[in-house]
Amino acid sequence: MRKLFTNLTGAVLVFILFINAAFAQQNVKGKITDATTGETLIGVSVLVKGSTTGTQTDVNGTFSIIAPANSTLTFTYVGYTTQEVAVNNQTTINVKLASAATQLAQVVVVGYGTQRKIDVTGSVAQIKGEELSKQPDPNPVSALQGKVAGLQITNSGQPGASPQIIIRGTGTVYGSNTPLYVVDGVWYDDINFLNSNDIESMSILKDASSESIYGVRAANGVVLVTTRKGKGKPTVNYNAFVGFQTVTNKLKMANASQYATLVNELNGTTTFANPASLGVGTNWYDQILRNAFTTSHNLSVSGGTDKSSFNFSVGYFKQDGTVNKNTYDRITSHLQQDVNLSNSLKIGYSAVLQGSGSTDVPIDLVYHSFTASPVVPVYNPDGTYGDPAKYPIGNIPNNPKAQLDYFDQKNRNYNLSGNVYGDLTFAKYFKFHTSFGGQVAQNNTDNYIPVYKATTNQYSLRSLLTLKDLQTRNWIAENTLTFDKTFAEEHKLTVLLGQTAQHYKTYNSTASAYDVPNNTTGDRYLALGSATDRSVNDGGSLATYSSYFGRVNYSFRDKYLLNASLRADGSSKFLGSQRWGYFPSIGAGWVISNEEFMKNQHIFDNLKLRGSWGKVGNASVPSNLSILTVTRSPYYTSANGGVAGTGANITTLVNPVTYWERGVGTDIGLEAAFLNNRLTFEADYYEKRTEQAIFAIPVLASLGTTNGTIIGNQATFRNRGLEFTANWRQTVSDDFSYSIGGNFSFNNNKVLSVITGNNPIYAGTGATGGQLTTITQAGLPIGVFYGYKVQGVFQNAAQIASSAQKDASPGDFKYQDTNGDGVIDARDRIVLGNPNPKYLYGLNTNFKFKQFDLTVDVQGVGKVDLYNANKGLRYGAENFTQDFYNHRWHGDGTSNTYPSANVGGGANYYPNSWFVEDGSYIRLRNVQLGYNLPDNVVKKLRIQRFRIYASAQNAINLFGYKGFNPEIGGQGDQPVLSRGIDNGVYPLFATYNLGVNVTF
Amino acid sequence: MLLFNLQKNSIMLKHKNKTAFSFLLAILLLSAQSCKKSFLDVPPQAQQTSETFFTTAADATAAVNSVYANLRSFDQTAFGAIAVESVPSDETEKGSSPSDAAFFNLYDNFTYTSTEGQVFGFWNGLYQEVNLCNQVLDNVPAINMDAALKARYIGEAKFVRAYTYFRLVRAYGGVPLRLHVPADQTQYNIPRNSAAEVYAAVEQDLTDAASVLPQSYSSADVGRITKGAALALHAKVAMYQKKWADVLTYTNQVMGLGYSLFPNFEQMFRIANENCSESVFEIQCQSFPNVIGASTSQYSQVQGVRAQTGGGWGFNVPTTALVNAFEPGDPRMDATIIFRGETTPEGDKVDPVGDNPRYNQKSYVPFTVPFVQNEGEDQNIRVIRYAEVLLMNAEAANETGNSAAALNSLEMVRARARGSNAGILPKVTTTDQTALRQAIWHERQVELAMEFDRFFDVVRQGRGPAVFGAKGFKVGKNELMPIPQSEIDLSGGKLTQNPGY
Repeated sequence: MRKLFTNLTGAVLVFILFINAAFAQQNVKGKITDATTGETLIGVSVLVKGSTTGTQTDVNGTFSIIAPANSTLTFTYVGYTTQEVAVNNQTTINVKLASAATQLAQVVVVGYGTQRKIDVTGSVAQIKGEELSKQPDPNPVSALQGKVAGLQITNSGQPGASPQIIIRGTGTVYGSNTPLYVVDGVWYDDINFLNSNDIESMSILKDASSESIYGVRAANGVVLVTTRKGKGKPTVNYNAFVGFQTVTNKLKMANASQYATLVNELNGTTTFANPASLGVGTNWYDQILRNAFTTSHNLSVSGGTDKSSFNFSVGYFKQDGTVNKNTYDRITSHLQQDVNLSNSLKIGYSAVLQGSGSTDVPIDLVYHSFTASPVVPVYNPDGTYGDPAKYPIGNIPNNPKAQLDYFDQKNRNYNLSGNVYGDLTFAKYFKFHTSFGGQVAQNNTDNYIPVYKATTNQYSLRSLLTLKDLQTRNWIAENTLTFDKTFAEEHKLTVLLGQTAQHYKTYNSTASAYDVPNNTTGDRYLALGSATDRSVNDGGSLATYSSYFGRVNYSFRDKYLLNASLRADGSSKFLGSQRWGYFPSIGAGWVISNEEFMKNQHIFDNLKLRGSWGKVGNASVPSNLSILTVTRSPYYTSANGGVAGTGANITTLVNPVTYWERGVGTDIGLEAAFLNNRLTFEADYYEKRTEQAIFAIPVLASLGTTNGTIIGNQATFRNRGLEFTANWRQTVSDDFSYSIGGNFSFNNNKVLSVITGNNPIYAGTGATGGQLTTITQAGLPIGVFYGYKVQGVFQNAAQIASSAQKDASPGDFKYQDTNGDGVIDARDRIVLGNPNPKYLYGLNTNFKFKQFDLTVDVQGVGKVDLYNANKGLRYGAENFTQDFYNHRWHGDGTSNTYPSANVGGGANYYPNSWFVEDGSYIRLRNVQLGYNLPDNVVKKLRIQRFRIYASAQNAINLFGYKGFNPEIGGQGDQPVLSRGIDNGVYPLFATYNLGVNVTF
Repeated sequence: MLLFNLQKNSIMLKHKNKTAFSFLLAILLLSAQSCKKSFLDVPPQAQQTSETFFTTAADATAAVNSVYANLRSFDQTAFGAIAVESVPSDETEKGSSPSDAAFFNLYDNFTYTSTEGQVFGFWNGLYQEVNLCNQVLDNVPAINMDAALKARYIGEAKFVRAYTYFRLVRAYGGVPLRLHVPADQTQYNIPRNSAAEVYAAVEQDLTDAASVLPQSYSSADVGRITKGAALALHAKVAMYQKKWADVLTYTNQVMGLGYSLFPNFEQMFRIANENCSESVFEIQCQSFPNVIGASTSQYSQVQGVRAQTGGGWGFNVPTTALVNAFEPGDPRMDATIIFRGETTPEGDKVDPVGDNPRYNQKSYVPFTVPFVQNEGEDQNIRVIRYAEVLLMNAEAANETGNSAAALNSLEMVRARARGSNAGILPKVTTTDQTALRQAIWHERQVELAMEFDRFFDVVRQGRGPAVFGAKGFKVGKNELMPIPQSEIDLSGGKLTQNPGY
């Protein structure tokens, strides 16, 4: 280990030259501990007041600083109350810092700066990086699940895929509905390139007033990410884990004999003469799923002096997918340096380099395994693939094993992002900050179809190589000027003025060639293929923004708080008079506990009431919505004379004017602390309206547009909710301390008005035949499930004869004739369920006993509906679940809830209430048990800290849903309108790891 | 990575604060500079704006190409067409496997409602074609280009628009007649026109088209709309309105243009014999190796033999009624229907077991023909054959009392089918108008079987209840499809529904 450190010093630290502080007065040493827990505090900033001399505590909580004998030392630490101690010739100063977890002095990261928690008038939740890196997720956003009230995270389970995140309900419908991520001042749509280990803290801005300063992109909330910075004497950290993932809640499918029985029932004939003789047959899930290996290694070197600081890290993450062949691995590096060039000028940079690669599996493989017939063997006795077409099972084209074996796709992703910045302090109260940052990224996908013949329908006569390339080039230039002064010791005033220019460019291309020889991946070039039929296509996007903003924060005696801001955003996406949007906000707070009349009470350590209002914008819509463009597509190639004639035409309509979509939100919050700050409590009520929301609005088909819609301002909808967060922390003894935190949030989404009046928006393909399964209409939540109400199952011909469904067969669903016209048709459809969860909750606990620590996190979603489209996606004799086999109708009186085996036929597959299921779940999100080697042992090993741990993520999941996984996001251009429709999601998995944290 | 040699520079910089400040100020000004108007003016990326389109002859060509290409669309040639134009007849039924796309059964037994997907799909697909034509007809006239070519392009687009409105009017009755691209939103929502108004517009377009289109094209343009196609379609449109004199006029004109029946009925439908001497109007379907996705035609695929490599989905299969319609020994039966277990003339062995006893042979492409996306994507769709022109001529002649001419035209069709086998398909000789009418109608049924005309033929002949009654056809209702409910809803009730729905 020593050697490792030396090597690293050689490799990395050689670039860093430290400045020797040139004063030599008196050496002061000391140790900083937590006033409540007695825990040593690492990285506490120690500063000689009125100078730039400073240091930080090491991993033992000790510091050493040269300070004038008559000076004062200032001790500051995130989450703790800042303390000042006069040196007075002392050489040892031990300080107990009071935790400010609930204290007013806690510092939180807000838009364009930091604020003391006391000064915040909006709703901001902050999570420390350590919390995130406790979870073995490659994406830091996944780790937020259950941690913050009002935050809904939907993990896809596919390695490398980003989760869907919704803050306080659906903010926007069209286009991206992810929040804005601001990493060290640079804006991103996604932070999948970030390693949790490199994150210092994440702030989630939840209310419109906090978000408003990011106007243009804030409609879905803002997540501020601060990456780690070095402090104190150089330390080396090594964190690693190794483990495996295993599929939980695997669906039980019908076995071969059960399946054959069902097929016979479906066809009404003896397709299979003797079902019982077929036995168990093939379990296709066993063929494609596996326990998957995962590992992670992170090494960082960091340190700092009063003149400079640095943090360099490198991380390696590997996660095999739970589907065979699927792999994902990633290398990340974070490089950060700050340098004080003088007392007034600081410059620095922060950069993240990331490279990742994956071996992909077909996107529909899980679905095909669900449908594949168990009577088809994986392989025939002669070694060839079992061929579904050779069995009397209709239209099932696929042997999933053959599909997987011949699928050959690799993806590589490279990302360089970060910024350089300078801070100039002048005229005592002014600070000028300038920053230039951005992102350069590349994503390549290589897909190769070899010449093969696996089964009747799985073959290729020619090989085809397809190369896809996506380039991202973004930059952001930002300048802010801050004035910060306290007048007469009671008027605290901060004024911020700023300006930003942003540029976002993507370029994508796809090229393909036939007859490329089947060489190894590296040798596959388009040039090696047939020259006559290569194809190439490309596209791109470019958007620019120009913005000006200002904010005033004022507080009087830490009792009365007032914040106001205004942002003006110009976007290339909007035209003419609509180009600029203006987003104001205002917030006020009253710290009741600081009032004179509260001085003598002992109930509240803190009591604060706050309220805010703000406007935010949404520019995550397509560019130039009002400009009519020409449709060019190979689809329009004519073939007259046997010659390819390039075709193009105008096939769409546009609205002459598209307005900015705006979010207008109000938040009222209460913060309180009791029992010496051991119990803290925070409650928020919010209401946010999204006005002029942009939708794809259906238009008359007789207009002949190819998309049937015009994108434009359509609806106003509202999210209203309550959030509660409570934390209890207690130190029982020196050996035992614990904390319990809980959060609960409740959201209600409702469409208030729709410009097209009574005409609802139907959306949500995914059910059989691409039928639209959701409706968005005034008075309802967005994208609720819509279809027929199942009243029962027809038991016999007599029931059918007396019903409105004369074409039905016994075993078919009996639908409600809602409008009573004696005919069952689309006019009888009703609302069947709501995919927007009513409430979310999380329980996060930490226990410390001697050398042991234990973390237990529980998380859940309640009162939400899912549409289990898998059950009806049937075009032939797809397999059934065992649940279906057990409960199906198969003769008069056998079932009045489940239909016959003909569930995908007749009118049974129409969107109906049978497919809608409760999607509530509760999950043991994470359990981690750690053991720290005792100090004396650690010292002997000449290291500072050594901890080993075992963890289990998602080990227990409780839900009644009859699919793989109740976490189901949306798809397509308007994901919000297709949320909760399950048609082949990736299975849910649990991760079990053993890990180590070492500090040198 | 940025590197700073601090020991050297830090002291120097202390004295250079002013310089640093100016530097930062310069950055600020530079960024502010970038905020002037041009920075925010970003044109659509990788897309041409409509303002710069329809300015050159090449644009006109591209737009007309799209008009042709879109004739292959799924709604126009596959599910939409099968549901609305084929399955309601007595010659076909759903096919495929029993549970697959069961909605076709609703069309077979006349229980579809205004919300059924294909009622909308067919409507939607045809109106997309109308828009492509209207774009050409509104915009090409202003382009500065070769006048003759311009006139021809306009003629071609008028024909396709007429063909499309004809399909609309015979399926739905009077529909909203859009003859221009809507200028603004006030023109979006328009009411239905009467069937007569739609027919009048169709006839006007066809008259215009016939006056400018050439009789034939050089090999590089084969497949484009000809004068003969415009006249033949005009005859058909007139026939649906029982304007028998017009039918005679137009068919006689076509008969003077040099078309001839292709000798081998079965081979006429193979790829090698596309655009043959009998072809009057044929939708050109072809994949091009260097334009992936060029032919999206699924016409052949959806009707292809199910569950066989190179086959297809097996929809729209011939019924027993069609089998029984053929006279004894008529070779057209074997040429029209693939029977389970047979070996096709091209050598494909059709599985003796399977979901369906029969498949459409007119759309059949041998299993071994390679394809990029869809089986049989290179198969042209024969829309109007000279045989139909002769049968229209026969029908009109008979209706106008000229049985000799009628028999003459009818015999040409039967003679080709008969070939050298004198023992089959005896010459029709009756001059009784009613009997001859029946003979001509029957000839249409077998000659044009599986060509998406049978249902409308029967309806126009007033025989709907007689022929389809057993399947559920209701007089006064099922002559027309319902207007899609979603369309009525979006119109705010401005569109009215057809009787009975």
